[in-house]
Amino acid sequence: MNSPTRTRSTWIGVALLVSAAGALAAADDLPKADTILDKYIEVTGGKAAYAKVHNEVSSGTMEFAAMGLKGQLVSYTAEPNKRVAEFTLPGVGKLLDGANGEVAWATSAIQGPRIKEGDEKAQALLEGTFNADAHWRDLFKSAETVAVEAVDGKDCYKVVVTPKAGSPITRWYDKQSNLLLKSSMVAKSPMGEMEAVSVFSDYRKEGDLLVPHKVVAQVAGRELVMTVDKVEYNADLPKDRFDLPDDIKALLKKQ
Amino acid sequence: MPRSLGWFILAAVGAGLAAGQQPLTPAERQLNNESFEHIWKTVLDNHWDPKLGGLDWQAVHDELRPKIEAATTMDQARQVMSGMLERLHQTHFGLLSGDVYKELDAGGGSRGANPGIDLRVLGGHAVVISVEPGSPAAAHGVKPGWEIARVNGKDMAPVLASIRAQYKDSTLLDLRLTRSVLSRLQGRSGTTVQLDFTDGRDQPVSITLERVQPRGRIAGLGNFPGDYFWAEWRKARPDVAYVRFNMFMDPETLSKTFEDAVKGCPDCRGFAIDVRGNPGGIGGLAMGVAGWFIDQSGLQLGTEYLRGATLKFMVFPRPQTFRGPLAVLVDGCSASTAEIFAGGLKDVGRARIFGTRTAGAALPSIIERLPNGDGFQYAIANYISQGGKPLEGIGVIPDDEVRLTRHQLLEGQDPVLDAAIDWIEKSGQVSQPVK
Repeated sequence: MNSPTRTRSTWIGVALLVSAAGALAAADDLPKADTILDKYIEVTGGKAAYAKVHNEVSSGTMEFAAMGLKGQLVSYTAEPNKRVAEFTLPGVGKLLDGANGEVAWATSAIQGPRIKEGDEKAQALLEGTFNADAHWRDLFKSAETVAVEAVDGKDCYKVVVTPKAGSPITRWYDKQSNLLLKSSMVAKSPMGEMEAVSVFSDYRKEGDLLVPHKVVAQVAGRELVMTVDKVEYNADLPKDRFDLPDDIKALLKKQ
Repeated sequence: MPRSLGWFILAAVGAGLAAGQQPLTPAERQLNNESFEHIWKTVLDNHWDPKLGGLDWQAVHDELRPKIEAATTMDQARQVMSGMLERLHQTHFGLLSGDVYKELDAGGGSRGANPGIDLRVLGGHAVVISVEPGSPAAAHGVKPGWEIARVNGKDMAPVLASIRAQYKDSTLLDLRLTRSVLSRLQGRSGTTVQLDFTDGRDQPVSITLERVQPRGRIAGLGNFPGDYFWAEWRKARPDVAYVRFNMFMDPETLSKTFEDAVKGCPDCRGFAIDVRGNPGGIGGLAMGVAGWFIDQSGLQLGTEYLRGATLKFMVFPRPQTFRGPLAVLVDGCSASTAEIFAGGLKDVGRARIFGTRTAGAALPSIIERLPNGDGFQYAIANYISQGGKPLEGIGVIPDDEVRLTRHQLLEGQDPVLDAAIDWIEKSGQVSQPVK
């Protein structure tokens, strides 16, 4: 699942099957994926605006409405590849998830600490890459526009991007605005594979950048709604903000 | 994501839904109609078996829809909706009165008060198995082993006989029997319950006991309104750690309890984890607790089969684990997550199980709120333990079957724990889990 605050930096690609032939345009008629991906950077602020941002702190809420669960989410990201997300859910406690370019990890009171490996690690490291959207050529080995499909009634270019490491992601970009409206990927973890679909909306300016403030994700048949309440760029972060938690260090030492 | 609150409805068994015999307004009746449709469609769309085991779900709808429309009280409406769910013949489908949520919203915390007695039904008799220190029962000298003959004048023998006849072929028998008596002991804090006991000398003793707030603190999760949770550990012998907790809830407290135990007893010969009477809770905690006792990556307790997805219940070893002999104590009131935990550890060869067969009620579930305000619990997945068998309807069968007796309780003994400790102290080898 893509984080609501890192949508710009979460390039992933998938070679999904192209179906619904009526909705498809011939591949030759579609704009190149390079053009769409570059244009996304332009419409959300431009390369220069991205280059001015060196870290980001976003906060908001997350809610599994059907289960009556609502909590807080704070995400810290920084150049070049550091990320820590804190989820706090009543009745569950705090869940932490992070990556630092070398180690991808997660810890919670429910399952304890763990080091991510394989595809899950690759996905986490990719999401941890700061402003990845602006550097997509460095991160993806291929990007292809495969169709035109509607998302919430809006025609979108369906783009499949395949990272150099990890599984592909499919993204839908609005033909009119070129904003990212939807993404789909197969989230992999030791517990299994699960399709995660995220729909992005409520784009608003934060500083010079246009950011989606609402993400509705479908995971295992459950709807998760995430909203962004506050975004701060170039925050004065403590030096140890991205240090590995002690139990993660202990696991690494044990390995 | 926490998802299994398996014990929610099980805990309510016997307690019954709050009385609702007032005539309903047209608006309330409409909300019940909407709730009926919500339940029906939720099962249709979410049950892991799209064919519902061959049940004609549309026919069930068509049969019961006129009845929900005709229901003029909440009791009648809930009876229709519960009846629809009972057609599935599976645990973890049920309703909880919206009055519980109203009480919570009002800051109420008096639910589930009791006189400080836990019990089991042994040989057809309701027998006290423990008395909470400092409770009204303790103050009046109630002891483990005393038999509860009547509750508020109601003779328990025919009640238990009726339940025994109804559930004679079900793994749920012990749970239903126990709940049928326990629920009568429970009520609002400050109220009283009159109990007729047979004491340790087989003499009748009649006592009126006040119901007080149970031990622990309220632990809830989302639409699960919560219950009193506690966890503790101690050394049962100088070299044997004993961990006990009444639910798989409050992950931070439970995790801290196990961390303290593992770090506080690194040289212990063995651990005994007691989940007797534990109705389950957050499913993921089965894996989380197991992580303190499994040092090998890649092991799983079992597999959850949702519609369109499969989830492995993987265990992630903690930085510091206990690798010595591990005993898990279970009984017929161990349900849901407690069964996933015990069954998985047994299947991977990490633990030896002591006690009696568990409740066989282990379907991962969630709770939603209905348009009429009631809670609706429904199972979202089937669960197969790592040994290849479902726990639902089968339960966990102990390696060493040990039954409580009234006589042993009167003698102050716990034969199940004693058997586990005896095994630990005789066991010279570290258990080796297998993939």
